[in-house]
This record gives sequence, structure tokens and C-alpha cells, in this order.
Amino acid sequence: STLTPFAEVEDTLKRIQGINGVIGTIVVNAEGIPIKTTLDNSTTVQYAGLLHQLTMKARSTVRDIDPQNDLTFLRIRSKKHEIMVSTDKEYLLIVIQNPAE
Amino acid sequence: MSNTTVKQKRTALKVKSSKTLNVSSGVFRVNQSITKTINPSISGKSFSSASDSKVLDKSLAQTPKHTVQVFDEHGQDVTPHPLYNPDPGVLQPKQGKIFPAHDTSWTTMTDFPSVAFQTTNASFTGPFTKSFFGSVSASRTSQTTESVTDETKELLVKPDLSSSLSDVQARREEVKEQVREDIMDRVVDSYLTETETIWLLDIPAVSVSEDSGDAEAVKERNNAYTELCKNRHGNDKYVERSMQTFNDAPKTKEVQSDSITMVDKAVMSTTWDMYDSFCNKADVSENTVVSAEGNKATVPDSSSMSHLLNPSGLDQSMSVFSTTSTVSGSSAHLEKMTCVLPVEEEPDLELILQSDKFKKDLAVMERVVLANIFQPKLAAYRQLPVIEDPDYVQTQIEEESWTEQSKNSLSPFLEHLWAFKCELTKGRNVSSMTWNKKNPDLLAVGYGQLDFKDQKPGLVCCWSLKNPTWPDRIFHCESGVTALDFSACNANQLSVGLYDGTIAIYNVQTTEQTPIIDSSDCANMHACPVWQLRWVDHDTGLAGEDKGEMLISVSGDGRISKWIHYKGLECVDLMKLKSPNMIVNNQRWNPKILSLAPGLCFDFHPNDSKIYLAGTEEGHIHKCSYSYNEQFLETYKAHTGPVYKVTWSPFCPDVFLSCSSDWTIYLWRQDLSKPVLGFTSGQKVVFDIMWSPHCATVFGAVREGKVEIWDLRVSSLDPTIVSASSPGVNPTALLFTPETDCVLVGDSEGQVTVYKLKNLSAGDSTQVEALEDVIRTTLSSQHTLGKTDRDA
Repeated sequence: STLTPFAEVEDTLKRIQGINGVIGTIVVNAEGIPIKTTLDNSTTVQYAGLLHQLTMKARSTVRDIDPQNDLTFLRIRSKKHEIMVSTDKEYLLIVIQNPAE
Repeated sequence: MSNTTVKQKRTALKVKSSKTLNVSSGVFRVNQSITKTINPSISGKSFSSASDSKVLDKSLAQTPKHTVQVFDEHGQDVTPHPLYNPDPGVLQPKQGKIFPAHDTSWTTMTDFPSVAFQTTNASFTGPFTKSFFGSVSASRTSQTTESVTDETKELLVKPDLSSSLSDVQARREEVKEQVREDIMDRVVDSYLTETETIWLLDIPAVSVSEDSGDAEAVKERNNAYTELCKNRHGNDKYVERSMQTFNDAPKTKEVQSDSITMVDKAVMSTTWDMYDSFCNKADVSENTVVSAEGNKATVPDSSSMSHLLNPSGLDQSMSVFSTTSTVSGSSAHLEKMTCVLPVEEEPDLELILQSDKFKKDLAVMERVVLANIFQPKLAAYRQLPVIEDPDYVQTQIEEESWTEQSKNSLSPFLEHLWAFKCELTKGRNVSSMTWNKKNPDLLAVGYGQLDFKDQKPGLVCCWSLKNPTWPDRIFHCESGVTALDFSACNANQLSVGLYDGTIAIYNVQTTEQTPIIDSSDCANMHACPVWQLRWVDHDTGLAGEDKGEMLISVSGDGRISKWIHYKGLECVDLMKLKSPNMIVNNQRWNPKILSLAPGLCFDFHPNDSKIYLAGTEEGHIHKCSYSYNEQFLETYKAHTGPVYKVTWSPFCPDVFLSCSSDWTIYLWRQDLSKPVLGFTSGQKVVFDIMWSPHCATVFGAVREGKVEIWDLRVSSLDPTIVSASSPGVNPTALLFTPETDCVLVGDSEGQVTVYKLKNLSAGDSTQVEALEDVIRTTLSSQHTLGKTDRDA
């Protein structure tokens, strides 16, 4: 059965959210405004804002070194979690995972 | 001491200044008024001298006073009022009102630029200065005049200004007009020279070095001076006298000026911003000035500065290489973007979620997240050192299982790594598995029931090692999948054999559900399930044809066919598996009726692609040649049940294995018509066998209920590793990994489990000799004992 593209994307998102250890998934648009999330509002806004800024900085760093290059993925490993950000000009895809579980 | 301090006295110059063009005369009259009282320190000597001289002139010459008047375009008298009235008793300040010119009043007007002019008077010469002051009239009180006159006596007296003023003016007018005409025609050469050095401050040194030539003179003078000072006291030459200084009333003066607006400007010039703007040069010209109102942008620096730079941005030249214009270009672009967005809130979400890039990113993210979880397993699979997560706290349960395993660390065992499973595959029977020839991480698994009953639509899943929880590709098939193989030439082509005899070729690069081609249109298609498929590469062509890769299939209708993908799939029979003559009741069955025995498996020789073995349902194994499709080269009869798998050893060219539902596995040598070795353990049907690609003496077998790994160096009577599966679940397929030491087992519940072979002494070489040794010893032992192998 063929799925519409949107349904396919929804499916994949659901699968990611269902993986063991994934705390939350956030999709952020180009200005840093979250458009899709599985976390509560305050946490989402916090993550979105902070990670947006960090991504801008990281992208600026990468492009300063070579303007033809661009940032694609950003990963922050902390003691408790791992935050993975897949970056693009139009959006940010953020997944927070606790790999220990 | 500046003269101006003396001149605190109002030099009441009734000078009205304005900078407006006097339209009538056509001469730009800059009538400046002078103020000397604002700031005594401002005016320099020249200023005072000039003004004073004028004053003096006026007073001496007694010129008829004509006041400076200012008229605007409409002829109104808009002469500004003085702000300062030197003598409140005498003067009548009428600030802010227009008063007629003939009113005498002491007006000293302030004109702030005039002050500035005054200070630099020194450098300006003649005519300018004169025109500058225009017609100056002075009328003064007697008092002030006197005082001024007194004071100005010592001053420089400039030549008679007033009388010549009008002349000067006229002259100036003429000169100016002339100049204007000439200028049009002439080519003017401009010479740029360095101006004279303007000394702003010159404090000569008051000390002299002892070594210099003047030192003597200076010393003498110093001595003379000290002498003088000594002598001063009581000397007639020096008289002490006191002077009175006048302390005038200070007055605060206010000045009004335009407020200086301070604006913060910031420019972001990063390498990439310049690069971006350079690339988007075309966009810059299209940008409109968009004011950033109510930007909820969280792009802090660029938006704020873009707001300020935009008005200037358009004024600047379109030289894109200057940073400021590029910044305004890019930030204007950004602004345009940010202003448009509030309108498109809703479609924004949709657009993002539907974009291809997002899909790809999601897939990558899924793999990344899973990699975090599966990292130790994958590392073990790839034979990489397993690094423990420093933050990971091992729980109690895991420690126990770990120690249990470590106890048996010496004996070989199968370590469970992970299992490929998902809800789609639940309950399905794994019928075949194969690795992709190009990408060693890609695994194709076919799901289909092998029994005649409970047939249901089949499924082919392409799993990637990077995502064990969901297959990368899913293809639904109409009937159960019974055989799979990836092509070696076109690594994206996967051939699928189905229970209803159809062969389909899928392109795994796309997610399309329809195969590239299938054989349902072919007239010669198989009537029975396709039990095995293989892409075979014939290097040595016969008479130019048959070069390249071909798809060969064996089916339950007793045919081994070669399929050619031309316009459709066409097949040519390579061999018909005729069943040999059956002897019933010692009578030969009617030889004219030839029945075909269903073929279940085949395998091409790894070295010589002409020879292949075929196993049938009757238990016979036939050795056939590719080019000769009439008869078999040889027949090996030992099995009493259907032969499910026959496979050549990848290392020993003469050796092959066969397994059957009669609970046995036989090891053959192709020149012997009887098997060399037989392996039995329990009375269970053997579904699948496979040689290990690493070690010649190792092979795996899958029986009903357990997985066995045999190592012939260790023992040929018992399997080295036996791994029992959960009750009710039968392993049905076995696959070794070509690069690492893992084995995959597919079972009847739809799971494909990955095991790592632990403690199986691999050795450095492929142990070919070991295998041959084993065979030799077995044969010799048989020989010496004089036994003949009975049929199993």
C-alpha cells in the first residue's frame, strides 16, 4: 500500500518518538518557532530557542571557515541526555534521547 | 591676553546676519554677526581686530548707518533678533519679533557659525572677510563707543573698510559674475599643494641643554635676571603700581542647536555572509525597503541592524563589494523573508513536513537515534572494540547475564546481538535471506509460507544494519516469497521468486511497489513454486552468447530455466529434471512416460560456472552441465527425502554438502557416488545449510527447533554449537555474513536474529587442508575397515 508523503513522514516521526529512550522530538522552523513537538510547551520553547541560537552559531562557524560548506548535523552529548539536531535552512529537527535506557 | 577680554564692552554692531540668499542682488551674502560676548575665549586676535577695526572705522568714518536686513523670499523682513542685550537699560530687546531696520538698537546677534568663521579669519584673506561682514552698521551709545574707542586705539587699524565696503561689494559682484562665465568655458587646472603648516600651539621650550651653543648666553641671561631681581628691591627703576581690573557681570548664554541623534549601527560581516550576498547579487536590486515592524524574529543582530541600514542601503551605490551594501542586501533579504512569514504560518508547517529533505533528515535521525541504542551490538558485529558508555550505569540484571556468559567464555557459543523484526513481519515465516552484493549492510529477507496450506501474500523487506527496527524497503507480493537473490552486476536489482511460480525483479532504489518486470506474462513461466533463484555470471561465453549475468531458477515443475531480460522476461530451459526410471516390482516403469521431479535447489560450481548441482524432491542430486541439457553428468543418490539444499564448498572445489528432510546432512566429494560423511543429530528435518565463508571446515545447519554450527576439525559427530530456539518457533533460514563472523537465522515468527560466533577457533588460514584431511582420514578409515557406506 502506497502512503502519501505526509503520512510517511508522520509514520517515521511516530517511530522515532516510539524508540526506547527518546524523550522528545521537536520540529522548529526557520525563526526558531517550534511547529511540532511532543514535549510540554515551556520545555519546547526553551529547547527551541536555545538550540536555534546554538545552531546559528555553529552554522556561522562552519561557514566562516568555508562558505561553501554548511552545517548538517549537530550532536550534544551531556551527562544525562544526548541532543541531536538535524539542521537545514528551513527547519531544525531536534531529538532528545537518553541512551542509557 | 586676548583683546576680547577687554572688549567685553559691547561693541554694538548692529549686524543682522543671515545666510539666506539675497535674491535681488544675486550675491550670496553671508552676513555674519559678531558676538564677542558669548565666549570671550573663542574669538581670536584676528577676529577682534577685524571687528574692532570695523567698529573703529565706523566710529571714525561716521558712515551713515545702514543696518543689515534680512529678507526672505516674500520680501518680509525676517531679520533675526539679537539674543544678547549688552545694556539692559539702554536697549530694548525684542526677541522674536521683526523690527524695522531703522530702529536703532544695540543688537549683537549671535550667529553661531559666524563665531566659527571668526576664529579662522586668520587664514582667510581680503575679499572674503569683507564680504563676509557685508554692510555693517554700527550705532552705538556714547558710552560704549568711547570705551571701545579707547580700547581699540592700540589695536591694529585696518584700512578704511567702510568706505571701501560698497566698492568691495560691487567689485565682488562683478568679479563673481565674471568668474562664473569664464568658468564655463575654461579648463581649469587644479593644483593641489600642501597648505602651510598651521601652528595651533607653539610652546617654546623654556629649558636649554647645557651642551648647546646657547647655553652660555642663557646662563648669562639667567644670572642677569637674578641680579635684577635682587636689585629690584628698593631700586628706583622699578615702581610698584596697582591696576584695577574690571569684573564684568557674567551672563549665561544659551545656545540652541539641533539635537545630535545617536544611532547605533552594527554590521555583521562574516565570510559566509559576504559569500551569500555575492551569490545572491541579483536579489539585491529587487529588494524593497521593508521596515521591520513588530518582528518577533529571534534573529537578533541582523534584524535590528538591517532596520537601520536599509534607508542608507538604497542610497549607496550598487557596488556589491562594499560590506555595508552587501550587508544591507542580505539583511534586507532576510527582512523580506521575516516579514512575509507571519502570513504563511500554516503552510509553513506543511511545506516543511512534506519536503523531501525533511524525509531524508528524519531517516538519518532515526538511524542516529538507533545507533545510540544499538552501538555496542553493531560494534560487536563489525568486530570493532566495544566501548562502554561512561555514563551508562549497568543494571543488576544485565550484570548477571553477562557473568553467565563469561563463565562459558571458553566454549564456543552464539552471542545474540539483535533481531530484525517489526510488526509487519510478525507471524510470517522467513523463507529466504540474501545479502546485497554491493552494500554489505543491506539484507533482503523474503517472507512466505513454505507449506501448501495457509498461503498468504508474501513480503520482501530490505533491512539495513543501521536500522534494525524498521526495514528500509517493503515490497508486498501477491503470493508467498520463496526465493531471493540480488544481482551482482546491477546491485539494485532484486529477483524474487514466488509461490505461484512468478519471478519478479524489483528495483530497490525506489520505494515503488511494482517490480521492474515479472514473468507473469511469459508463456513459459513456472507452474510451481520457484524454490531457488540465482544470478550467475558466466565469464566464459559460448560462441559469444551467454556472456554476462543471467538469472537461473529452479521450480517445482521440474525445470531449471534461464531467464533473459530482453523486452519481457523470457526463459529458456536449461534442464528438465527427469526422474530416473523407477523400478517397481522389478519391472521397469514405462519409459515413455517421463515425469519431472520437482527441483528444490541448485548450486553452481564456484570455479567452473558450467557445472551445477540440482537437488530434487525425490532425494537425488544431479550434476549437470550448462551446455548439455539432455542428460545429467552424474547422479548422487543417498537421501531418502527431498533435498532442501545443496551447496558447494567455497574452499574445496570438489566438496559439497546436501541436506534433506530425512534428518541428515551429507558431505560429498564429486567424484564419489557415495557421501563421505553424514551428519545427524536428532530426528529433525534440516531446512537449511550453509558453508562458512571464512573457514573451510565450518558450516551451519538449521533444524527444526535448533541452530547448529558444525566444525569438522573439532568433531564430525556432534555439532560444535547448538543453539536451541524458543519453543514453537522454528528457525527456517540461515545466512552467514561474508565479512564478519556472524550468522543470521530467520525463523517462522518473522524474526531474523543476528548471532555472533564466539570462541570458534577461526585460525589464520581457511583450513582447506584440514577439511581435506578430514575427508581423507574418513575415506581411508572406511577403506581399511572395508565397509561400504550404507544409504542413510
